[in-house]
Parts: sequence; structure tokens; C-alpha cells
Amino acid sequence: MEFSPVLYIAIPLFAAFLIPLLGKVSKTLVKLTPGIVFLYLSYGSILLFPKAMEKPIVQVVAGFKPPFGISLYYGATAAFLITMVTIVGFVIWLYSYKFIIREPIEKYYMLFMMLITGSTGILLTGDMFNMFVFLEITSIAAYSLTAFLRDKDGAEAAFKYLLIGSFSSTFYLLSVMIIYSYTGTLNFADIAGKIDLIPPMAKGFVLVLVLVGMGIEAEMFPLNGWAPDAYSQAPSPVGAVFGGIVVKAGLYAMIRIVFLFFKTPEVMQFLIFMGILTLLIAEMAAMRQHQIKRMLAFSSIGQMGLVIIALGIGTMGSTSAALFQMFNHALIKSLLFFAAGYLVFHSGSKQIEDLEGLGYDKPVTSFFFAVGALAIIGLPPFSGFWSKLLILVSVAKAGDIAILLLILTGSVIEAIYYLRAVVKLYTRKEVPDNVRRTPISGLVAMGILAAIILYVGLYPGVIEKWLAPAANNLLNAADYIKAGLF
Amino acid sequence: MRKAIAILLLAIVGYYFINVFIHMPFGEKREGVGKYYLENTVKETGAANVVTAIVVSYRGFDTLGEVTVLFLAATGLGAILFGKRGEKRRLQGASVIVKTTSMMLYPMVVLLGAYVFVHGHLTPGGGFQGGAIIATGVLLMFMSYRHFNVSHNALTWIESLAGLTFATVGLIGLALGTTFLQNFLPLGTPNDLVSAGIIPIIYIAVGFKVGAELTGVLDNMLKTIR
Repeated sequence: MEFSPVLYIAIPLFAAFLIPLLGKVSKTLVKLTPGIVFLYLSYGSILLFPKAMEKPIVQVVAGFKPPFGISLYYGATAAFLITMVTIVGFVIWLYSYKFIIREPIEKYYMLFMMLITGSTGILLTGDMFNMFVFLEITSIAAYSLTAFLRDKDGAEAAFKYLLIGSFSSTFYLLSVMIIYSYTGTLNFADIAGKIDLIPPMAKGFVLVLVLVGMGIEAEMFPLNGWAPDAYSQAPSPVGAVFGGIVVKAGLYAMIRIVFLFFKTPEVMQFLIFMGILTLLIAEMAAMRQHQIKRMLAFSSIGQMGLVIIALGIGTMGSTSAALFQMFNHALIKSLLFFAAGYLVFHSGSKQIEDLEGLGYDKPVTSFFFAVGALAIIGLPPFSGFWSKLLILVSVAKAGDIAILLLILTGSVIEAIYYLRAVVKLYTRKEVPDNVRRTPISGLVAMGILAAIILYVGLYPGVIEKWLAPAANNLLNAADYIKAGLF
Repeated sequence: MRKAIAILLLAIVGYYFINVFIHMPFGEKREGVGKYYLENTVKETGAANVVTAIVVSYRGFDTLGEVTVLFLAATGLGAILFGKRGEKRRLQGASVIVKTTSMMLYPMVVLLGAYVFVHGHLTPGGGFQGGAIIATGVLLMFMSYRHFNVSHNALTWIESLAGLTFATVGLIGLALGTTFLQNFLPLGTPNDLVSAGIIPIIYIAVGFKVGAELTGVLDNMLKTIR
């Protein structure tokens, strides 16, 4: 049987239903399951990758051709992002292996697997209501995992997330409702051809609903109030999933819908404007944080702002750069969360202040944190350098110097607070003897990410050559419609 | 000041909300997939109940997702309440009248639930509704009898096996060289109990799963010590 895109959903679901039964046999089996699933899916995604880059794979579910049944649209953009998601998902599982030792283990792994599968579904689907279902899967897994440690702060963060997340789902569902009642279809490609059946006022309202609904998931200002709490209270691997994977899915959904249905210069201008606000406000907020994971969360919001700006410019160059930045951010932010997770664990405190001297006590973990910090600032020879450079070049080509300066301002602020944390790590100070060590699985996970970051930094060509088809697929609505409705 | 701005914003959103939804076409005869479903469902799926055919067949992938949503909600609740579970509920036993009536109603409620999901492709209702009816039957017993207990082990087995059935039925379609969740059984005569291909199998699995999950949720919440 050939690998088919529907397996990205079917296999993890099958495994999730199986986990409770495996739990009766052995806990080790439960812990291994997500790893095997993600390893297999990464393998499959690499096999499918060249095919999807050439021509979108549209997979029908239940045998009814679109728009009557649900179809999955595995185009170049989706292939690029989903391959990234499965590989990062596997690495995060590896990190979880020794990190999550708290009961109920089987529930953790079930929710963890579904959180990533839901995001994959959002990236994969070609149907507007199906996207809502995957949004729900992602959100419900995310709420439960935020409160997984069962402390007071976690419960508060999860409740906040639940309230804001419900807005997100409801708004999105309302937009689906309006679209369906005017066009009589739910297939993205079909809607894109019939979007003018919707009267202007309702259409504008749909745009607002989608921007608010998916903007919450994409952490766009001012809809990102949930993020810092959720990131910092959830277990570290879950924080890595939020920053590395879930946000990307939300952002992709928002951009896909806007580019297919609402691509007017005004909307693009608005995206740029919101991106700049998101970037600057988040970076300034990150500067003021005293807790390491909250700092990472705000930095993640800022990075999303940068990506939104690049997408809003909407040229081939800037869209490629935005996708490259999404890829880099997924790897680098996961690495930072991994390292921060163990640094917090070793120092016993979430405060940046208390990291002093850990660079000498825990050299390897601290080294990986430093790598991540330098990469995200955009210093060579790491991969973050190239994507940031591409974004700046594309902005300069678009001729908007003001935006260029604002992005640079954001980057300088970012550099300051990351370097501050790194300097803190390497400030010499007597630390009480600490016998706890970072486990091998955690170090291997960090090592894999750091190696990819360095490799892509040295040979950016390996990723760059796939950016053009991926960006083209995102920008070119006519091609999407043609492929989606065969 | 903040309140004034909030009220103003709400008023603006509300204005557009009402304006858009008041003009939205609803229930009129339209082109689009809805019309296609009404005309072709019986021929294509063999299900007499068009709603069920849409839910389980045309949009079966969504239903698999919705089953997962409920599964995750139950799992998440279990994870958050883990360790806070007591062995006994704090509820007082009910009066003799309530107890006797519940004892008589309980089997009938469960039977009705089973009827609803078994006939999902013929009559209104289906797996979700049938499962929910069964769970209300169990709730009735929980409220009347202090010592009425359900085995969590059994619930886990039912939940998992039902979920696996759904996923396996989908994968069989794929393995046979067609698509995921595609029908591979004969459609039969519409309106017969055994008809509509894989729809009844899926709905029975969903009925068991939803029933077990909601029962588990009720039990978890009733037994949590404050």
C-alpha cells in the first residue's frame, strides 16, 4: 500500500484509540507508540515530498469527489509544513520520553499525539468545516495539556486559554456558516470560485470573523493574551509543540483563507500593520519578562508578527522568506524550550535571575540554549540568519524603508534580551552541587535540532530550493482552485 | 472608560452581527451540495435517513474527528482530575419511589439508546444521540443508588474497541484500494435494518463509544472530592 496523505490522520487516531489498551499491558509500550507513529509519518512525508512539490495531491475521503465529500489538499505548502511538523513532532516526543514521568502517562501521550495530529489536519484539509473539526481537536488537547501539571497557575492558564479559544472556534464556525449559506459548499476551492455570491457586508464580516478566529490561534496582536500563560505553565515539551507546531497551523489557516478569498491590497496592508504591531509589542513585552519561559512565549509571538509582515507583503520573495522563517522558528523555538525546560528543572526556579552560573554547572544544556538564542536572533552560521536576511531583502525590494527599520528595531530588542539571558547563564557564580543530570534522550533531542539548525545554516540550499514551489502554491489561488476541484 | 469602550465595541459587532444574520438565506431551495445530497443520497449510500448519510458517509471524516473531540475531552478531564478521585460519591441515597422507578426505567432507557443507534440510518437519531441516551440511563442510576458502580476497566475496553472499529473500517476502505472510509459492503435495500453498507457499523461503534465516554465523564465528576 502506497503512503497516502490521509494516513497522517488515520494512523495517529488509530494509535490514540489503542493506547488505553496498551496501557494495560505496559507503560513502556504507551511511551513508545507516539514515537513509532511520528517516525513512520516522517518517513512517509519524506517519500511523498517530491511528488507534492511537483503537483498537489488531492485525496478524496469516503469516495465522493469534491465538493460533495471531504477532500484533503496536500500541496507544496502543506507538504513543506507537514514534513516539518512530523519531524519536529518526533523530536519533541524523544524529549518527552524522560521528561514526562508524571502520571497519568497514557493520557499525556494520547493528548500530545492528538495535539500534533490536529495541527497536521488543519494544514492538510481542503474543506472548511473539516478544518473546524481539527481546530477543535487541537484546542481541546491543548487546554488539557496546559493544565496537565495540575497546579493552580496551570489551571488558571488553561481556563484563560479555554475562554479565548472558545471565541476562536465560535468565530470561525460562524464564518463557515455564513459562507455555506450563500455558496452552498464547504470545499475551499469551490468556495473560492463562488465567493462573490456573498453580499459585500456579509463578506466583510466573514473576513473579520476569520481574522479574529484564526488570529487567536496565530497569536496575532491583540488576540494573544492566552499565549504567555499557556506556554509557561504547560510542561516544556508541550510549550515546544505550541510554539513550534500549533501556531504554524493557525497562521497557515488564516493566511490560506485570506489569500484564497480576500486577497485585496487593503487586507494585505492590514496584515502588515498587524504584523508590525504584534512584532514590536511582543518584543517589548519579552524584554520585561523575568521568567524564562514567558520570555520565550513573547518572543514566539514576536516571531509570528515577523512572519505575518512578510506574508502581508505578498511577493514571491517575501512569502518564501516567511515560510523559511516558520520552518526555522519551529526548530529553534523547540530547541529553546527543550533547553529552558531542563535549565528550569536544574535551577529549580523559573526566574532568569536564578540561571546565573548554570553555564558552568550544566555546560551541554546551556550550550544548546545559547545555540538556540544566537540562531533566533539571526546570527550566522545558524539557519535563522538566512530567513531573517531573506525577509529583510524582500521588504527592501518592496521599497518600504519604514517597515524595514521597524523590523530591525524589533530584532535589536530581541537580540538584547536573548543575549542578556545567555550572559546570565555564563556569569561565573558558585552554584550548589547538583547531582541531577539532563537525561540522554533530552540531549539527543536537542542535539538533533541543533544539528539541523547548523546544517541548514551552512547549506541553506537544502531548504531554499523547496521554498519557491511552496510559496507559489500559497500565493496562486487559481492553481489551488484548479487542483482542488479536478 | 474601559467599560465604555467595551460596550461601544460590542454594539458595533452586534450591529453587524444582526445585519448579516438577518439577511442570510435560510431554508430556501438552493443549488449546491445540499441539493445534490437530497437527490442522490439513497442511490449512492443506501441510507433512508439523509442526515445520517451526510454525517457518516459524505462527511464521515468529520464524524471521526468529532468522535475524537469527545474522546479527548473525556481523556483531558481524566488527566486533570487524576488523583483527586475518591472511591465513594458524596451523594445521599434517594427515596424508595425514586429507586424503584429508576430500576424499572434503567433497562428501558438503555434499550431505547441501543434502538436509536442501531436504527441510525433509518430513523432520526444515531450514534451520538443513542450513546447520550444510554449515559442518561446510567446517570439515573448514579443519582438513585449510592453504591451503583461502573467498571472503569470495562469502559476503557468499550471506548478503545469502538474507536478502533471506526478507524479500522476506514482503513479497510483504503486497503482495498479505494479511499479512506469508503463503503465496501453491499448497500442492500433502503429502509431495511441491514442496509446502507458500513453506516450501521460505524454508528453502532459510535453509540458504544459515546455511551462509555459520557458514563466515564459522569463517574469521574461525581467521584471527585472537593
